Amino acid sequence: MQRDIGKPLFDLFLLIASAAAFVAATALPEIEIVGDLSPAFFPKLLSGLIFLFAIPCLIKDFREWWMVRSVASPTPQVVKVRSVAQWLFVVLLLVGYMLAFERLGYIISTASFTFCCVLGLVILSGVWGEQTMAQRGKSVLGALVFAAVLAVAVFYVFNNLFEIPLPA
Amino acid sequence: MKKLLSTLAVTATFAIGGHALADDYPTKSVNMIVPFSAGGGNDTFVRALQPLLEEQLGESLVIRNIAGGGGAVGMSRAVASEPDGYTLLAASNAMLTLEAMGNVPFTHDDFDFIAKVVDEPYILAVGEESPYEDLDSLVEAASDSPVKVGSSGVGSSAYITANAIANRTGAKLNLIPYPGGSEAISAAMGGHVDAVVLGGAELRSALESGRLEALATTYAERGDSLPDVPTFKESGYDLVLSVWRGIAAPKGLPQEVKDEWVAAVQQIVDDGSYEETANNLGTKLSPLFGDKLEAFIDESAGIMREAAGDLAK
Amino acid sequence: MISGYLDGLGMVLQLGTLLAIAGGTLLGIIMGSLPGLTSAMAIALLLPVTFGMPPVAGVGMLLGALCGAGASGSIPAILLNIPGTPSSVATTFDGYPMAKKGEAGRALGLAIVASFFGGVASMIILSLLAPPIAEFALRFGPAEYFSLSIFGLVIIASVAGKSLLKGLIAGLIGFFASTIGTDPITGVGRFTFNELSLLTGINLLPALIGLFAVSQVLKDTLEYDPHERVKESTHRIDIARPRFLETLRHWKAVVTGVLSGSVVGPVPGAGGSIASLVAYDQTRRFSKSPDKFGTGYAPGIISVESANNALLGGALIPTLALGIPGEAATAVLLGGLMIQGITPGPLLFDDQGGMVYGIFLAYLVANFFMLLIMCLGIKLFIRVLTVPRKQLLATILVFCFIGVYGVDGDVFNLYLMLGFGVLGYFLNRYDFGTAPVILGLILGPIAESNLRRGLQSFQGDWTPFFTRPISVTFLVIAIGLLALTLWQNYRAGKQVSASQGSGV
Repeated sequence: MQRDIGKPLFDLFLLIASAAAFVAATALPEIEIVGDLSPAFFPKLLSGLIFLFAIPCLIKDFREWWMVRSVASPTPQVVKVRSVAQWLFVVLLLVGYMLAFERLGYIISTASFTFCCVLGLVILSGVWGEQTMAQRGKSVLGALVFAAVLAVAVFYVFNNLFEIPLPA
Repeated sequence: MKKLLSTLAVTATFAIGGHALADDYPTKSVNMIVPFSAGGGNDTFVRALQPLLEEQLGESLVIRNIAGGGGAVGMSRAVASEPDGYTLLAASNAMLTLEAMGNVPFTHDDFDFIAKVVDEPYILAVGEESPYEDLDSLVEAASDSPVKVGSSGVGSSAYITANAIANRTGAKLNLIPYPGGSEAISAAMGGHVDAVVLGGAELRSALESGRLEALATTYAERGDSLPDVPTFKESGYDLVLSVWRGIAAPKGLPQEVKDEWVAAVQQIVDDGSYEETANNLGTKLSPLFGDKLEAFIDESAGIMREAAGDLAK
Repeated sequence: MISGYLDGLGMVLQLGTLLAIAGGTLLGIIMGSLPGLTSAMAIALLLPVTFGMPPVAGVGMLLGALCGAGASGSIPAILLNIPGTPSSVATTFDGYPMAKKGEAGRALGLAIVASFFGGVASMIILSLLAPPIAEFALRFGPAEYFSLSIFGLVIIASVAGKSLLKGLIAGLIGFFASTIGTDPITGVGRFTFNELSLLTGINLLPALIGLFAVSQVLKDTLEYDPHERVKESTHRIDIARPRFLETLRHWKAVVTGVLSGSVVGPVPGAGGSIASLVAYDQTRRFSKSPDKFGTGYAPGIISVESANNALLGGALIPTLALGIPGEAATAVLLGGLMIQGITPGPLLFDDQGGMVYGIFLAYLVANFFMLLIMCLGIKLFIRVLTVPRKQLLATILVFCFIGVYGVDGDVFNLYLMLGFGVLGYFLNRYDFGTAPVILGLILGPIAESNLRRGLQSFQGDWTPFFTRPISVTFLVIAIGLLALTLWQNYRAGKQVSASQGSGV
């Protein structure tokens, strides 16, 4: 079993988030309609239940983590750092894509997103470092062509053929 | 002051740019914002009109469903766009009810209304096995114990109209909101509510098949589609409302563009190419343009605001 | 009736009509296979095209789109673990594991044939039993809807995965998320933060795409390693063909799927999204080898996919027999019918000549076209898996954006999608699972609003929830299933603790 501090941390996050949600739910206005439960009833009930159920999960996951801790982790750290870097890179790229989506228009934002995504993965995964100059040129060119073709083709097919309007 | 400045700026841009751009309008495809997802009354209305308008304008009309917030998202997007005639809005009562409920940062004054095309009445209807044979018996029964009346969601125009009916008739109505018209209709058919208040188009097939019976409509006078159903007005209640659908643009639309559109809609109305479709959809062609339209919108907004009354924030 | 069918046949068997149905089916298949683009979208796009056509051709085209999209949702679900619609969520449970074993072609072959059987069977049920089933659906008031949603929520226990408690938490998260927006009964804003897009609550689609597609892509990027690309699991294209005999061997799964689709599908609002999950749940419960489910087991795919197309026929029942559309796709379809001058309702089944039979036959023909097109395309679909990983990941994300933005045109939904994507990634990573979240999101509002609507209309009286026959039946079944699950879990837990350490 892999040692993962994230597991109990995520339980802790749920615990805190549900508590916050419960507090926010108590601030909802009370409105009386004959027979009806108040609008705050369900949010309070649900966040309360999440809080209650998260406690045993936290305890269990924390104990597991604690026990595995004593056993040395066999996973090489280098791989992990690289994976997390790839993950974070894609998430940040998605945020950028989202922000650029309507501002820059579909074709430009999509082409840059695709280009960065493909090339970024080549670089972060370590392939870039092993490549010769010529191969690198090929990677960049390949990503460029792929990005341009994908963005233009998708835009044409959806915007013009299917008439699903995309930001210009 | 800020508002005045921005108004001035808008006026200036269209005074300078307006002429050049409007001369040969339209020169590219026109976006029509439908502030609801595909499949609603508003969407069907525009999609049915789309080929006819394209023929009149000679350019393609692109329907953009910008849904969310009961129409609020699409409408606020329309308000924020350039009044150059290339972004228009499929407008309806929803705009006025959102305004009346006080949920949105715009009012109907932020729009230029081009045309009202169709309308339909709100109808109070009961199930076929209902003990209420007419409006009076329902109102009478509702003076003792509340009558369960279904409609679409809280803050929808049908819900507000139901509230207005309760206020004007003095009947005690237990208003039960359903997510949409079809859920309310099936509740009425299944006897889970005593009556429903909904737009005529939604109720059309239920009324035609006899599963529901109309007790009263909110038209000013009896319509052709339901000649036997009395209006609230003739029953002695001051309540005249209709569900209307039309076309609007962000404030500051160049006059030439507006004229072009009015002519196009007028032509479609005159040659009767939309009439059958409109009737099939359960609506009635009732075109209105210019000052009359503005007066109509202002009046409807007033009624909605009053009807929303205690519901609004 | 026979003469009606003959009249209807005459309307359908015309070149123009057949072409229209085929075209609609093709567009439906394309739309349905892209995550986020729905059959409602496909039908809405076709709506203006159908105006000039004769009624049966126009309606046939729309039905083709409905049928095609219903079947092709299985393609991304199987190949990429990405369900494009709520109803194909359950397809991923066994479809993706089978594809991972290198048998994507077999999974698709099963899915296609099961879809076809489901569609045809539901057409027969629709044509024979529509009016009585529609009347049954009308008996659903607030109490019945509430109990149905509780029955549905019990499915969480089946799809929860490793930990029942964590699955429950995931369901509750979805349920809580569904309370965001304008309160359905009082109209008060709940957690809307003055954001217009949140007034009507969290849209299902961005949540679905985020929880399944984006989270899956994030997982793949984390694991992305070009150095180990030469894995053994080469996808065999030669096994990609429709699998009639294998599907027929699991006829029980087909029957379960068709029944779930036809019975749960007609319930307006709730049916479409949960019918296939109900089918999966039931097939697994009554299977002799429930452990095999989730590992790429054929009956899992078959029951879900036959339910998936059977529920379309189911959803058409209230649409045609009462004029009450259950969800978006049939609502657009209803618009199309009315524009053609066809008024749905009980009368449609009585008169209008062969019209209604023409519609049934058009739907049947659409199923055949679906089978044909999917069979021709099956080898093409599999090629998706030969696209290099990094390009594939980027392309999936591009399509997710189109799907989420294209339907409602609201950038806010993209934020939602990403938020749910990151949440979904962690939920999957830490054994909570994402399917329960979707169930909570779908069923939560039904449970809450109907409980409160019921209390409002019964004036605060709780007893009708336990005395109305349909309502109490659902509740009893729900409690029974829950007890069964707990007992099975308890027994399985004992076995696991006996052989501790075998682990993941």
